[in-house]
Order: sequence, then structure tokens, then C-alpha cells
Amino acid sequence: MEVVNPRAALLSNLEVLQLLRELEADHLASQKSALKIKKEDEQSGTQNPKNPVENVQVSENLRTIEVEAIQYLTAGYQPSLSLSEGGVEKLVKALAPFALTKAEKLQIVNLVPTEPVELYTIVEELEERLGDQMDAVLGVIRDSISAGGVPAESSTHAAPPSPQAMSEERLFLEEDDITWDYHNEQLFDDTGEGAGIEGDLEAEDN
Amino acid sequence: MFVLSIIKDTVAVKPHQFGIPADQALINEINTIYANKVLHDVGLCVAVFDLVEVGEGKVRYGDGCLWYKLVFRMVVFRPFVSEVLLAKVKSSDEDGIRLSVDFFDDIYIPLIYLPEPSAFDPNERAHFWLPSAADSETKPTVHDMLDSPTTDRMYIDAGEIVRVRVESDEFYDHEPGPPKALEGVRVAREQKKAPYTIVCSMVEQGLGPVSWWRNAEIEVMGDD
Repeated sequence: MEVVNPRAALLSNLEVLQLLRELEADHLASQKSALKIKKEDEQSGTQNPKNPVENVQVSENLRTIEVEAIQYLTAGYQPSLSLSEGGVEKLVKALAPFALTKAEKLQIVNLVPTEPVELYTIVEELEERLGDQMDAVLGVIRDSISAGGVPAESSTHAAPPSPQAMSEERLFLEEDDITWDYHNEQLFDDTGEGAGIEGDLEAEDN
Repeated sequence: MFVLSIIKDTVAVKPHQFGIPADQALINEINTIYANKVLHDVGLCVAVFDLVEVGEGKVRYGDGCLWYKLVFRMVVFRPFVSEVLLAKVKSSDEDGIRLSVDFFDDIYIPLIYLPEPSAFDPNERAHFWLPSAADSETKPTVHDMLDSPTTDRMYIDAGEIVRVRVESDEFYDHEPGPPKALEGVRVAREQKKAPYTIVCSMVEQGLGPVSWWRNAEIEVMGDD
């Protein structure tokens, strides 16, 4: 094992939640179909030796962290839940004119500060850097909460060939759409078959 | 809180998994190896994000597995220093507070990072902050604070949601050393240290239990 880059990009809580939920849905679906095939086999009385679906065993570790992480990310106190997919994108775009760092924007998306006190903890030297703009920033954040609920659809992107399954590819595109604003400084060098995806996205975004 | 790490590894697909698509089998295999484990100096692995590069599966002498050389991206829990997190108070003791984010609970607040002045109430088994004593010139002693009226105290109870700032993180690599013996008697290994711990702070305006700051105004707050 070799760690090529321990911190290639930052992910927001919502992105992780989306990934985990898709994993969870996949597990449930495969469990269901495994059960169904088993039932059919029993009914027809034939013993189908080793069907491939049953072989997809999910490791205990993955299930544990998946369930626990979903529990944390969907807990009632998580402020980022008040934002929708589209809300995140809009929020990051709306924050662009303010001189905020990538990490600060990430935390704003994760914690959705609506009170000045909360913003103080996230943005260093808030008064010097933003001054009168603070209310504008808070206003932008509040707007994105009430404007939430518009789903982001990235189906317009021409899907380039990729080694991943369709569902994952969709996730990949959407996530990069959103994360783009904070990890564009560290360009991820895709050397695989999906090379160039992110570059294309940037061109479309701007 | 979460980052993507790029990792290179060689992974075996066992013959009974040949029936399912290779990429799915590989992702399952990587998740089995990495999920919910701490990688030294990387963080706590959550799940595979995607496969970046997959080599050709090769059969080696001696087993029937297909060995793939891969590069993949992993979702890893590794909050950066100075990041603000929401966490739940798991327990409190004389040395500080332990926090949990459900899937990870080696997050600690030592005494020096508790709001000033604060003390530990052994009856309630909880730390409390005494904002009324913050204005006085002399630093109140622990004794003074424990004599204070209970209504002035702001407790940090177990189960409460707190906002904290990450101060530092530490990895500890367990090396399987030789068995220890003391006077010819084998000594049980000492309590294992957690492989990854995060130290957080509450010493700042806006940090601490979320309920403290819900309707707070900047002007009302102590320090300046």
C-alpha cells in the first residue's frame, strides 16, 4: 500500500452523506434481490449452485461506519441538512465575491452559520477582513436556506466513458460540480480513463 | 471533516467473486480492507470514492486469485486543524471531556481548552463554565467555583451538542513488541492507546454547547 496523496480534495458533509446513502441503497437492493432469487429457487425446488448476487458480501466494517456516519450526518442538529443539493452550489457561487478561503467556504457549507457568533468561529479575523460585508455574507447564507429544495441535475453533461458504473459516474459529476469551487487550486491529475472530466466541467461552469 | 485520499495498492479478487463485475468486486475488496480503519497519518477511512486506475488482473503462482494493481480515491475522516466541528459530549471526567461524532469517538477536550473559568462538578460528573466569575480581577479557585450558586453555572452535560475547534491530532502506531516480563511473570500489555485522537478546544466565543450561543449577541460576550 502506498498513499499517493493523503489530502487530494476536501469533501463537504452533504457529499459524503450522498455517497453513503447510495452505498446503503445498493446494499439494500442487492440484499433484496438475493432474497428473491433464494425464494425462487426454493419454490422451483432447484438448487442453483452459487448465484453471483449472493457472493456480493458486504464487510461488517463498511456497514458499521456507513450506518454510524449516516446517523451523524442526518442527526437533527446538523445544520447542513437545511441546504439542498442546489443550495450548496448556489451558496458557494454566491460566496465567491467575498474573500474567503477554501476551508472557510467548506465550513460555511457544513455548518451553515446564521448567527454572527457562528461566523466568527469559522472566519478568522472576521472584522478586519469582511468588515461591513459580514451582514451580506449572513444574508447570502440565509437566502440559500430558504431557497433550498431545488434539486441539482447534471444530466446535461455529456458523460465521458469511465470505468465506473453509471450510478457512480453521476455522483462523481455532481460532486465535482459542487466541490469545484474549493478544490480548484489542487488540480487532481486524473490519469485513468476518466481523464479530463474535471477540466471539461470547469469549462462548462465558467 | 472529510477528505479524499489517493491510495495505491494491490488487491486480490477471490475466485468466487469472478461472477460479479471486476470493478464492483474490487471496490468490495478495498472496502473490506480499509473501511472503518485508521491509516497512519491519513485518517479514518470511510469508503471507496472511486477507482482511478486499475491494472490488469494477474494470476500468481500458488493461489487462484486475480491480483490487481490499483489506484483509488478513499473518503477519509480527517478534520483539519482549526476546523470547527459539531460533536456530542460522550463523557466527562476530571481530565476533560470526551466527544463523539457517532462513527468516531476519540475526540478529547483537555482542561486547558475548556472555557475559562470552569471546574468539574464531581456530583454531576460534568464540567461547568462560570461566566459571572470571568469579570472578576482575581482568578477564582476551584473551591470558590464549587461554592457558587448552581443557577450561575453553565453545565456541559453528557449528550449535549457542542461546537469545537480542532487544535491538533495525533496518530499512534501500535507496534507488536516482544512480550514483557517483570520478575519472571508475564505482564499484561498496558491499555492500548487509540490509533488516532483529535484534541479540540472550546476556549473561544461561539464555541461550546450550541444552545449557549443560539440567540447570543456579539456585544454581550465577555472577552472584549
